[in-house]
Amino acid sequence: MSRDRIGTSPNRVGGIGRVTGSQQYVADIKLPDALEVKLVTLDVARARILSIDSTAALAVPGVHAVLTAADLPQPVPRFGPQFIDRPVLADGETKYHGEPVAAVAAESKDAAEEAARLVKVAYEELTPIVTIADALAPGADLVQDPSIRPNDPLAGTNVLREHRFGWGDVDATPADVVVEGDYTFPMVTHFAIETHAYIAAPDGDGISVWSTIQHPNWLQRILAGVLGMPLAKVRVYAPDPGGGFGGKQHAKYEPLVAFLALRTGRPCRLVLTLEETFKAVRRTTTQVHVRTGVMSDGSLAFVEVDADYNIGAYADIADRVVAKGSYPAAGPYRIPAVRILSRSILTHTTPATAFRGFGNPQVNWAVESNLDAAARAIGMDRLEIRLKNVARTGDTLNPVDTRCDGEWDQSVRKAAEMIGWGSPLPPGRGRGIALGIKSGPTTGLSYSTVRLLSDGSVIVLAGTSDMGQGARTVFAQIAATELGVPLERIAVVMGDTSIVPYDQQTSASRSTVLMGNAVLSACRDVQAKLRAMAARVHGIHEASITAEGGVVRLPDRELSVLEVLKPGLGRMGGEVIGNGMARKDAEPDHPLSGSAAFFEFNCTAVEAEVDEETGDITIVKHVTVSDVGKALNPLQVRMQDEGAAIQGLGHTLMEHYIYDDRGRIRNLGAIDYRIPTSMDLPLHMESAIVENADGPGPYGAKGMSEGALLCVASAVGAAVRDATGADLRDLPLTPEVVWRALRERDRKNAEVTAR
Amino acid sequence: MYAFAYERPATLAEALALLEAHGPDARLLAGGTDLIIRLRDGSARPAVVIDVKRIPELCGGIREEDGRLVIGASTVMTDIAADARVRRRFTALAEAASVVGSVQIRNRATLAGNICNASPAADTATPLLVYDATVVAAGPGGLRRIPIDDFFVRSGVTTLAPGEIVTAVELPFPDGPIGAAHTRRTRRRGHDLASVTLSCAVDATGRTRIAYGSVGPRPVLVVDESGILADPVAPAEAKAAVLETVFAGASPSPRSMRASPEYRLAMLRVLGARAIATALDRMARG
Amino acid sequence: MTRTVPISLNVNGRPRTVDVAPNHTLLEVLREDLDLTGTKECCLVGECGACTVIVDGRSVDSCLMLAIEADGADVLTVEGLAADGRLSPLQAAFLDKGGVQCGFCIPGQIMSAHALLAENPHPSRAEVEEGIAGNLCRCGCYEQIFEAILATAEGVER
Repeated sequence: MSRDRIGTSPNRVGGIGRVTGSQQYVADIKLPDALEVKLVTLDVARARILSIDSTAALAVPGVHAVLTAADLPQPVPRFGPQFIDRPVLADGETKYHGEPVAAVAAESKDAAEEAARLVKVAYEELTPIVTIADALAPGADLVQDPSIRPNDPLAGTNVLREHRFGWGDVDATPADVVVEGDYTFPMVTHFAIETHAYIAAPDGDGISVWSTIQHPNWLQRILAGVLGMPLAKVRVYAPDPGGGFGGKQHAKYEPLVAFLALRTGRPCRLVLTLEETFKAVRRTTTQVHVRTGVMSDGSLAFVEVDADYNIGAYADIADRVVAKGSYPAAGPYRIPAVRILSRSILTHTTPATAFRGFGNPQVNWAVESNLDAAARAIGMDRLEIRLKNVARTGDTLNPVDTRCDGEWDQSVRKAAEMIGWGSPLPPGRGRGIALGIKSGPTTGLSYSTVRLLSDGSVIVLAGTSDMGQGARTVFAQIAATELGVPLERIAVVMGDTSIVPYDQQTSASRSTVLMGNAVLSACRDVQAKLRAMAARVHGIHEASITAEGGVVRLPDRELSVLEVLKPGLGRMGGEVIGNGMARKDAEPDHPLSGSAAFFEFNCTAVEAEVDEETGDITIVKHVTVSDVGKALNPLQVRMQDEGAAIQGLGHTLMEHYIYDDRGRIRNLGAIDYRIPTSMDLPLHMESAIVENADGPGPYGAKGMSEGALLCVASAVGAAVRDATGADLRDLPLTPEVVWRALRERDRKNAEVTAR
Repeated sequence: MYAFAYERPATLAEALALLEAHGPDARLLAGGTDLIIRLRDGSARPAVVIDVKRIPELCGGIREEDGRLVIGASTVMTDIAADARVRRRFTALAEAASVVGSVQIRNRATLAGNICNASPAADTATPLLVYDATVVAAGPGGLRRIPIDDFFVRSGVTTLAPGEIVTAVELPFPDGPIGAAHTRRTRRRGHDLASVTLSCAVDATGRTRIAYGSVGPRPVLVVDESGILADPVAPAEAKAAVLETVFAGASPSPRSMRASPEYRLAMLRVLGARAIATALDRMARG
Repeated sequence: MTRTVPISLNVNGRPRTVDVAPNHTLLEVLREDLDLTGTKECCLVGECGACTVIVDGRSVDSCLMLAIEADGADVLTVEGLAADGRLSPLQAAFLDKGGVQCGFCIPGQIMSAHALLAENPHPSRAEVEEGIAGNLCRCGCYEQIFEAILATAEGVER
């Protein structure tokens, strides 16, 4: 029993299905009579669609429908979490490489694929806007139809929104030294091993939709809107996703598959290929200009950040990524003056969406690298400048937001000690250290229902998606702790909007805090009902009874839960139902509409070795330390932190989309888009945590799992700079990029010598 | 995947007859690690796929014959990389075979398939060149032996005639002691297609054979008879001058997204120097 | 429609006969015709290893093998590891060591690990790293996967 409780690391709930192959992911679900769907796409980024001829496709045996925009309600329905801008099918013009112009439903995958190839689309290829510079060029074509955002003065530009944050007066704040620089972050994709998949099936006068979605309740709302159905008639099943990382937060092709199901009257299934998934989701990419003002004693005077984010063709949730990612750009420091300007810029590229870190790693790379440059400019140690400026508990960061809510310097000192900061290194090696901060959820709403059944076993209903982070296990541990039930007797039910109460979303590392608190309060509701039951059975006053951890204490004795339940429920059986809720309301005057529920804080330190001839980086040691408040499951915390660190090494060292001049992604799929394998890891990886039980979640927990990704690039880049003296501004640090930086260093050194 | 017919001939004669009957509409299937990708993406659209893996003449494994090591066409990379004779006598080939893809790929990919694809980046091409291998091909007119340096034309094209099937690759055992090495450049340490491949072999006379790939339409073999590259006391400038001649045949494409021509050419020199050093060291250790 | 061809193979110790289209991969036939969905589909180019199964004792990417090529073969999939409802030592170690996050790559990881240990019962860490390099884990659970494989090897008598 004790091994099931909070603070221990029992085996993952749902783990057996995952190691035996019996876990059912969306693509594993076979509905009787289901049709297979294939998207019809053009091998261009931007094209005007002149005509679509489905005749040959419809003649393929087994084909039931070829859906085009003309077959949809008119005007073509659009949807999106922030702007109602994404059409169910390309509406007159494709705006990114791979945007579907039609979809085929057929009896078999072979037939659907053959028919998709036979759909004849006449189109005129148009010059796409691929880069931020293209988008901002005077007279540039507009990516988005201005009627999508009427009354918006920016509607006549490719800037979707501008965000201005800050405090103090940067221009009036004196600094002894000002260092500035430009940094870029590459276009990377989630590459969850499970590709996106969708099934839709007519269900009486409603519809059922299975999706690899992270936010089933949000999808339900989108589908209800697009289909004109009441929420109660839209049932979304969200089996545990095979990795999400943000890419599966919002609706993509679910409305399309739903229309096909309604049209054919049959279940329709669309499993995207990896290449199609690449065309559907990516991280926002950035160009950042940073100015850091510092006093000669190392105290920060001001930080100014201009961040342009290329968000692609449709907004998805990317503008929120831009706002929330750039908002804490100045970092976890006490700074008298900060000015941030960030812009979401539309281009004819893959629509960007949330991705672990939510816009923060992009600016962290710039701001932390520039802080190193400032330290060098005043001759101060890079650790020392961070310790001097990092906020202490209760310190103000942004005057309108949550104050520093952790002992952050503890993490920094721990990481420095673990990496051996300051000890001598062999030639060719260097160290880097970087801090990362991310605002937790700014609003949130989670409900949970906990059902204590007549035999003392428990069902927890929680609408979080367990995509690997282990939410199922943590919720079960909370119930085990509160109700004294072993994990084997607890079932956690998720992912069915008709059964499981509402959860706003699985994002922003919120689930342990928000849904965790909801589960905790539902358990406490069960406890309260057990006390009332015991009072009734024993004819004593409820106030004299306590219930916790599976023990009901009467004034004269202790009873187990079952000893209360049996007489309390009687011969008819029944159950005790507890309800819980956790809510964080919006704050209308706040620049992000809500202050941070908590901050995720991480310090990453790296020792790296560089091969001067080839540019190869070897990460000799990688240390990641996160302030988690309280580790409810220490092993899962470690897995999340180390996993985030390795994912961060991807965009740091190797990952990026490569576009051709026609806006097509050249390195689609797993052959030329490289992610870390088991042979690409640091030689030593160590993770550690700081626990002060100072978080708002159950038992003092904070959200975690994004923190360890935030500053990976910054720490690695700093270590490479330390090892070589090369100036690095652009990720990923591929061997060739590092090799070029080394040549550039040599060229500059030669110039200096020549003078 | 497009529909196609599948044939699994039991004899070489049957396979040759099928090839003759279907001509350019047929594709040979060995390990399938390249062909199946191409069948799926539509860049290969044969009407008939002829699976050669159960033809006894191609399945001979690795055997010694008349001073040569004969590697049957169906032999997979895993078996080549693990073979004691290959490891000891043809070290660079063992090294190359052990870096082709992942374990799963090496369990399927064949040596013959690797060279018949004629990818400029094929890892096994460069060691076969430095070891002076011979490709054995069966055709309507009987067996033909093609020196490996005459085999590659450009990506996807070899001098194999229509209707011919590679049955084996032969490696002559070197007369005396040699040291050899295979090196490559990739974008990560885990399996990856190489942006430069380079093998070299030095013998006791100081003759150095260097082959490099992925920097032009086909892999290139250059033999340095001067002895300078293998001479431990030759001045660095002299070696560099020889290497410039060796690498004169490199012409990397600017269109590749794996690495720029500038980087490839620079790495060719780095890999060349490193591989020679390793080869010399190996020869010294015997 | 494509003409199908009957093939016989042994899957997880059970003889099966199935009519396959020549252009269907072993992966498709396992998942769609034999309902063995434990084997996963991802990249379809032999890079990710999610579809790894063991054919005649060797690990292969089932996306790069035509089903018809498996005629007469012994195929082992993740569903064939647990016996009598009991997890295999590898499966248990993956759970105990935290080698599983989202789980989607895990059947492939376990099959590669199974093949590795069958050939090399006491691998070094470097051999484990190389042995599963053809199995991508985007959750980044590699350290725990190594621990699970090495712990399983520890449990095997030397």
